[in-house]
This record gives sequence, C-alpha cells and structure tokens, in this order.
Amino acid sequence: MSETDQTRRNFLFAAAGGMGGIAAAATVVPFIGSMLPAADTLAAATTEFDVATVEAGQLVVIQWQGKPVFVVHRTPELLKQVDGHDAMLKDPNSEAIEAVSAEWITPENRKYRAIKPEYLITVASCTHLGCIPLFKPSPGRAEWGDSVPEDWPGGWHCPCHGSLYDVSARVINGSPAPHNLHLMPYKYLSETRVVIG
Amino acid sequence: MLEKMMKSKLFGWIDERTGAEAIIKSQLTEYEVPKNLNYMWNFGSLALLVLVLQILTGIFLAMYYKPSAALTYGGYTVAFDSVERIMRDVNFGWLIRYMHAVGASAFFVVVYMHIGRGLYYGSYKGPRELLWIIGVVILLIMQGAAFFGYLLPWGQMSFWGATVITNLFGALPVIGEFLQEVLRGGFAVGDPTLNRFFSLHYLFPLLLVAIVGGHVHALHVVHSNNPTGLDVHAGKSTIPFHPYYTIKDAFGVGVFLLFYCYVVFFNPQMGGYFIEVDNYVPANNLQTPPHIAPVWYLTPWYTILRSFESKLIGVLAMGASLGILFLLPFLDRSKVRSARYRPVYRQMVYLFFVTVIILGYCGHSAPTPTLKLIGQISTAYYFAFFLLLPFVPMFEKTKPLPEEI
Amino acid sequence: MKLKQFLTVASIAVALSLPVAASANEGGVALKHAEIDVTDQAQLRRGLTVFTDVCMGCHSAKYVTYKGLMDYPELALSREEVDDLRGDKPLASGMITDLSPADAEVSYGKVPPDLSLIVNARRGGANYVYSILTGFEHDPSGKVPDGNFNEYFPGNRIAMPDPLSWLGHDEDETKELEEQAHDVAAFLTFIGDPHQNQRHAIGKYVMIFLLLLTIILYLLKKEVWKDVKH
Repeated sequence: MSETDQTRRNFLFAAAGGMGGIAAAATVVPFIGSMLPAADTLAAATTEFDVATVEAGQLVVIQWQGKPVFVVHRTPELLKQVDGHDAMLKDPNSEAIEAVSAEWITPENRKYRAIKPEYLITVASCTHLGCIPLFKPSPGRAEWGDSVPEDWPGGWHCPCHGSLYDVSARVINGSPAPHNLHLMPYKYLSETRVVIG
Repeated sequence: MLEKMMKSKLFGWIDERTGAEAIIKSQLTEYEVPKNLNYMWNFGSLALLVLVLQILTGIFLAMYYKPSAALTYGGYTVAFDSVERIMRDVNFGWLIRYMHAVGASAFFVVVYMHIGRGLYYGSYKGPRELLWIIGVVILLIMQGAAFFGYLLPWGQMSFWGATVITNLFGALPVIGEFLQEVLRGGFAVGDPTLNRFFSLHYLFPLLLVAIVGGHVHALHVVHSNNPTGLDVHAGKSTIPFHPYYTIKDAFGVGVFLLFYCYVVFFNPQMGGYFIEVDNYVPANNLQTPPHIAPVWYLTPWYTILRSFESKLIGVLAMGASLGILFLLPFLDRSKVRSARYRPVYRQMVYLFFVTVIILGYCGHSAPTPTLKLIGQISTAYYFAFFLLLPFVPMFEKTKPLPEEI
Repeated sequence: MKLKQFLTVASIAVALSLPVAASANEGGVALKHAEIDVTDQAQLRRGLTVFTDVCMGCHSAKYVTYKGLMDYPELALSREEVDDLRGDKPLASGMITDLSPADAEVSYGKVPPDLSLIVNARRGGANYVYSILTGFEHDPSGKVPDGNFNEYFPGNRIAMPDPLSWLGHDEDETKELEEQAHDVAAFLTFIGDPHQNQRHAIGKYVMIFLLLLTIILYLLKKEVWKDVKH
C-alpha cells in the first residue's frame, strides 16, 4: 500500500470515528434531556395557602413542588427570641448562598426572614441531608432535655444528625448543616392568602 | 486503533484477569469470515443495532409510562394519558416514543430480510441447523414482545388486538381456557392484562439479549455461510471480521439510519402502518373499530388464521406456519446450499417471498371473498413450499459448483 | 443482491406505501383536500378562535393546556389572551368544554369525542375534518333531518349538528365558511402533534449529518476493502 493511500485511509478513519462520536454524543442529549422535569411538572410549580389557618404559636407543613414547607405563626414572644444570639449563628444575615435569601429581604425584616414577621415560610428540608427538623420553640432545656444545648434560643432540631436552627430557621454553630433553611419566592395575594413559587 | 489499545498497560491488566485478548482475537481480529459476503449479510448486525435501540428507548419510556386502565376525563385512561404526556410534555419524549414505535417495525423489516437471506442462500442447512433454530426462537420472542408492547398505549387497536389474540389461545383444546385466563388475568382484557403485559414487555427483550448471545455464539462456532453456499476454509477465501466486516457493517448502519431517521422525523405513523390510526382512539370495550387488523408484521400469519372456516384449525395452522420453520433444516435434503445453484429451489423461494407479501397484504385488508380466496391459495403454497422440499432433490438438476469462492 | 438494487427496491417500497395510506377513507367517498401548513401562525390562531368559539361548546381538547397556548411558539398567545380564554380555569388545565358528558348524552345521544387527537385518529386526517365541516347537505332520500346528513361521514348520519351553519349559508358566505373549516383543520392538525415543526426542523439536520457520515463510511469501506483480492 502506498503512502498516499495510507494517509487517505487514516483521514477517513478519523472522519468516520469523529462523526460517529458526534452522533453518539448528540443521541445522549434527548435521552438525558427526557429525565429532566417535564413541561407539566414545571407548570405545577406554585402553591396557594391561607396563613390565617395557622394558629398563633403553631407550625404546619405544606407542600410546594413536592417539597415540604414550614409555615409558622410566630407570637410576639417568639419574635423576641430572634434577637440576642447572633454569635451562635453561622450566617446571621442569611448571605452565604442565594437560596437562603430572597428578593423581598430588607434590612428591617432580615432577622425575621419573612415578609410579615409573624408568618415565617421556609423550605422544611434540613440543609444537611434533607430531613424535616422538629419544631422546638421554647428556649432552654426545660421542655426538650438533652436534645438541645443549655443556651438553646428556641427553634428547630433535626432528628437525623442533630442540626439546630433558631426561630428564624438560621443554622446554629456546630450543626452539621451548612446553611440556614432555604427560602423561596412568595407573595401575598391578599391580607392572608399567599402564593408560593 | 484497536491494536494500539491492546498494547496498553491497562489492557494488559484486564487481559490477565479476563483473557480479553484471546476473546478479541477469536471473535474479531482473527475471526475468519468468507470474503464474498454481499450486502444481504448486513442485516444481522442491523438487527442487533435495532434491539439495542429498542431497549434503550424502552428504558426511558418506562420512566414515564403508567400501565393503568383506570378511566380519566373523556373516556381516556391513565395509560393513554401517560403516552400523550410523553408525546407532549416530556422533553424529547416525542422523539423517544417515535423511535420506539418506528423501531418495532424497523426490527421486523431487518429481521425479515435477515431470514429471507438465510432462506435464499441455504444458511439453515447443516452444520447451521441449531443456529437457524435459535433464530426462529428469536423471531417468536420478538413477535411476543411486539404484541405485548402494542397493548400498552391502550388505544382501540391495542385493546381489540389483545382481545382477538387472547381469544385465539382460548380456541386451543384442553389448555386453551387456562392459557387465556393466564394471559388476561380476568374475564376480559382489562387492567390486570395491561399490567402483566407491561411486565412481560420489559422481560422479553432481556430474554432476547440472552438468546441473541446464543445465536452469535452458535454462529461463531459454525461460521458464516456465503452466497455460494460452499464450505470455506481459513486462508485465501476468508478475511478477518475486523476491520473488514466491522466497517462494512458500519456503512450498513449508516444506510439503515438514513431510512430509519427519515421515518422517525418525517413520517412516524408511516400512513397508519407503523402506528395505526385507530390506536389514537382510546380503548373502548363496548365498541370494536369497523376495520381491525394486526400491525403489518403480523398480518401474514393473520391471513393464514383467517383462511380456515374452523377457528381451531385456523389457530393450529397459524401455529404450524411458525412451527414448521423449526423443521426447515431437516426438510431440505439437498446437498447444495445456495439457491444460486438450485434452479428449482430458486423459483420456489422467490415465489415464497411473493407469497408472504401477498399474505401480508390480505391480512391488512378488509376481508372480501376474492381476497379470502387469494389468501387461501397463498396459505396453501406457504405450506407446500416446506412440504415439497424433501422431494425437490429427486428431480432438481443443480448447476455445477465452483471450486472456490 | 447488489447494494444498488437493494436500495432501489427499498426506496420504491417506502415511496409506494405513502400515497396508498394517505388516500384511504372510511366512508368510501373521496375526501376534499385541505392544504395544511402548521407553521402559519396567523392561520393557527384563527383556527384556535374557531375552536374556542364553536367547537368548545361541546368538544374538549384535554391534552392541550392553556399554558401550552402560550408556550408553543406556533401559537405564542400572550398571558392576557390566554387569561381571557380560560376564565377561572387554572393555567395548567386542559381545554375542557363546559358541556357535561351527561348533558351531551341527553342532547346529542352521545358524548362528543375529544379533539386533541382527532386528526391522527381519523383516516384522511385534516382532509376528513375539513370535509366533514363542509359536508352537510340535504339528504337526497329525505330520511335524515337537515343538519344531521353529512356526505363524508360513514353512514351519512352524523350526531353533530352542522357546527358552522354550512347548510344555511348563502353564496357569499361560502368562502368564509370554507376558510373557517380550513383554519380549524390546521389548528387540529397542529395540536394532534404539537412538536411536529420542531421534529421536522431537527430532522433536516439529522438527515444531512447522516448522509455525510454514510458517504464517509462508504469511502472508508471501499478504501479498506482494496486489500481484499477477489
């Protein structure tokens, strides 16, 4: 076989191999693409809720995009518990990542992490590995025993790996969870009707 | 490229533990194939390609498909809705579903060509009898898988096709009723049927993979036949499979994909042949569509079924028409393999191909007296072809065979 | 068989199967032809209007959501237009008629079929839809009441009463009614397979790519096979 023949052959091999590779890669796109959320799943992405149905001092868990969401009706006492322990918090101003902040955050409501301070609405998945933390609002160990530290400011305790959050769902130092509980976009349609997402 | 790869350290490490080098050599680079194979020999590798495509697309469809006959708004069902959701809402769902639906037909096109080639060149004859028999098993499993799959969209053709075919099994003596109940899981085709068909539709391709492995293994023991039908011995008449036939097969894949993608992208229903019009109507157990026929690849056997007045004989004839394929290697007593050198067999096998196409046409059309008669004549020849084979060598004057291919 | 022979036969087989299937019709009468272009946004929107104003009185298109009317680039309605159409129905809801199946049963004797897939589900497709809509006539034998006799419907007796008032038209209106029937046939063709334009667009690139790849593979095959002495 002559030299030119060998060059031609190598070129054709490379061209065929290259195009075959492109074809295979292009085929992967629709298949992996099909595993992303479908159009109707994305369309069902908002949840409406009436916060007036939550009694003072109580917490309810609702669903948004298939994920659990906390809605807490915070009493004036609970709102006071937000202050005075910033030194214990990993991220007191909720600035570490985008998901813990929201468009509607202002200097006034930053520590409350809510549009209306009395209603805290937050994604209920622990930022460690996704368990739903338990609501332990009263300060100190009186009600909760060893599960919380002695200087417990009140908030959430995650049963899976012991992460702790205060009543504004901000993560407390020493927790395995890296971030505050995530916030999501929401707005009030009326005095008490809220649309999440 | 392959040689370079085989010299690498990593390959050496793997080879020590698996004997990969010996396998590659014996199956690819030193696997001897006759050098005179024509393009009819491409359909084996194409069938393997379509099998892979069907399994791949099927796995992704199963992520969204829901096998439930529970009713939804407008007389539709959860199953039908889930198919439409794939077509409309799932990203590229339309592509994957059309690939799967067109792939089912493409599979049969390719496999029928593959079988036709085997018939024409006498590839079923000794020592390849078992290779052929494994192939017939593959055909039967394919037909089963296709039948189970066709029920899944739960359209009118799905439902009535399944009703008709499960009734066929019911016509068998003694075991008929039992078989019918096992298939249906109820008094009629319904939700339990849909669930078990889905399960079996997922199972059968896995069986296919295993049996296709056996088919390829059997081939590599007895080696490929060739257009002359002569026995070839390693050396001047053969070439290694790789690179010659890997590249020829790759070219075949290119040509096949041109046809396949044209249909998938521009004509996926193929005018009602690949996805039937009536299957866009949701299943209704109280109303049979005015014209009901199986998908094109099953219609030849459907005509054989319809050619007999008695339901039982029809069912048995249909079974026999497939079963007789198993006996083919033993019915043909000729010493010459290829139809090239067998003038009588050559005419017979051409007529057989035409007959199968006519049977397919009759099965697809609404029954009329003329078509029924044509179907009956074709059925008669279908069986005559096989039953005459033992006697052909008695009077057939074969042409002289060449010394070497 | 030689490659060329085989390709010729295969191409002819594919070409032959197309017209046969397209011309098939249930009723035995040749259908009128409706030239459909599912990329014509103006026509699809007019068809949507006919659909919502006329068809949706009784028929649904449950697989087409109001959100879809905004999202499909072929229609691309604005949020305001969609809000007008949907009233208080959710955006993610299908286009469901207000006529309940039970009431329809009483009024027409049967529940009108969903129209999402009607073009795919009838032999003749868009031609069938167009022919039915413009096929209402006086029954020559006088047995079927006016408004229920349709030239193109199998059996001629159709439960759907003349939706476009085709029968009562005068000469001047004919053209307009034909256009309405044409528009809605185009709309129904579109919603039967809403990704068809995308499919054709992608398909063109796929075919060009595969053609190139196949040519290269053919040259490579010829090149490598030069080694083999026949």
